[in-house]
Amino acid sequence: MPRKSVQLQLKVVMSAVANKLRDLSLVDNAAVVELAALSKSIDDRPILQNISFSLQPGEYLSLLGANGAGKSTLLKMLATLIPPSSGSISLFGQNASANSANLRARIGLIGHQPMLYGELTAQENLIFFAKLYGVANPSAKATELLQKVGLGHRAKDRVKGFSRGMTQRVAIARALLHDPELILADEPFAGLDEGSSRIVENMLSELNQQGRTIILVNHAIERTLQLSKRTIVLKSGQILADEPSSRLSASRIIEEISQP
Amino acid sequence: MTGSLAQLRTLVEKDLRIEARSRQTLGLIIVLGILIIVVLGLGLGAQNNIPGYYATAVLWVAYLFAGVLCFEKTMAVERVDGVLSALLMAPIDRGVIYLAKLLSNLALMLAVALVVTPAGMLFFGFDLSAAPGAFVTVIGLSLIGFAAVGTLFSALVSSSRLQGGLLAMMIFPITLPLVITSTQLLIGAFRDGTPIVSTGLGVLAAFDVIFLTTSWLVFEWVLEP
Repeated sequence: MPRKSVQLQLKVVMSAVANKLRDLSLVDNAAVVELAALSKSIDDRPILQNISFSLQPGEYLSLLGANGAGKSTLLKMLATLIPPSSGSISLFGQNASANSANLRARIGLIGHQPMLYGELTAQENLIFFAKLYGVANPSAKATELLQKVGLGHRAKDRVKGFSRGMTQRVAIARALLHDPELILADEPFAGLDEGSSRIVENMLSELNQQGRTIILVNHAIERTLQLSKRTIVLKSGQILADEPSSRLSASRIIEEISQP
Repeated sequence: MTGSLAQLRTLVEKDLRIEARSRQTLGLIIVLGILIIVVLGLGLGAQNNIPGYYATAVLWVAYLFAGVLCFEKTMAVERVDGVLSALLMAPIDRGVIYLAKLLSNLALMLAVALVVTPAGMLFFGFDLSAAPGAFVTVIGLSLIGFAAVGTLFSALVSSSRLQGGLLAMMIFPITLPLVITSTQLLIGAFRDGTPIVSTGLGVLAAFDVIFLTTSWLVFEWVLEP
């Protein structure tokens, strides 16, 4: 049997054992995210292959890659919205497949779509989601977060009348309702003008400074390298680079991911 | 359990509030239901040619088409702006999402029935006072089963581009036993005065139980972000 294959199998077994021990609370691991040999295929087409990395609390990781590299699929799997085809995902030391419902309560998801009901007001949207998360005093929490994102004065307006930037700020408030420890942001700047992008960028940086772990998927490579501390570059569903963002150059990444 | 009930209430309230504001679904399905009654009424020359109790079959045509549109619209609300992903991220049992959507659909279908049924009575000279209890029981049980199936399949096809035709093609054959049994029970009750408490009523109840339970159990796998 080839050495690489044996190593891979050993890695999967070790990871499974570690997950089991963590589930039984026999070991304490501080990793927020730990992926071992993760793969995903859709209709027999490999989307992600053999992805392994771990993420410690407070890290700010960006995922870069061309369209179709598997970034959004990876984020959906981290959000426990779709299961992997093989390999394992451990979140906060727990097996994500076995504890997905509990783990979701510790994750905040921000997407390029606002994920808000346009017919409801900003406050109604936040109260609705706060109630689903079982947040104590949903109304007060909604008001507090709307103030924080600078939209307290528009609390009673329907979201469908908001600009893209304002909607995205409400979306961030929605993602923070339950004080998540891990924030997954899938192209949160899409469709935003320069000013609104800056506001959202600053909000994410602030959240990271407060100790929250952030995984950002984005297309603006140069900007993303400035924002995050660590970057993983995906190409055709595989990890091309996993390095501190300061060591990577945007032009080199563009060159690498553009090659067929 | 209390938590799930509170979540159920929150979800239904949200659906009804959105509908009350947008009036996107109710207005459309009521107009469609009345149009079907009017077209079939005029086409069949109803008051002269057929007995009034056959209106129950015509009413079913209106309920079926209005229902398909209703199920599609209420599920489409969750697809706009990717809001379904946020809903699925919440620590909530998928079965609760199903039950909430079912209750919202039933509320809208009830509103349709309250408007369309009098229209059917008027056009077909259907005297509901002969057996109102039988009508409410049979149609009530049937609409629960219809909505149970419709809610499940609307979630299944909501990510497909073929939505409209596909949903009708999927749920019409499945609900056929419901429609046939319900119509036969009502024609028997209104024409011959036959009591509805029979095997037919058992079939309707069994259909409801089977599809409510199955849909509640499998909803987790049909709801894709």
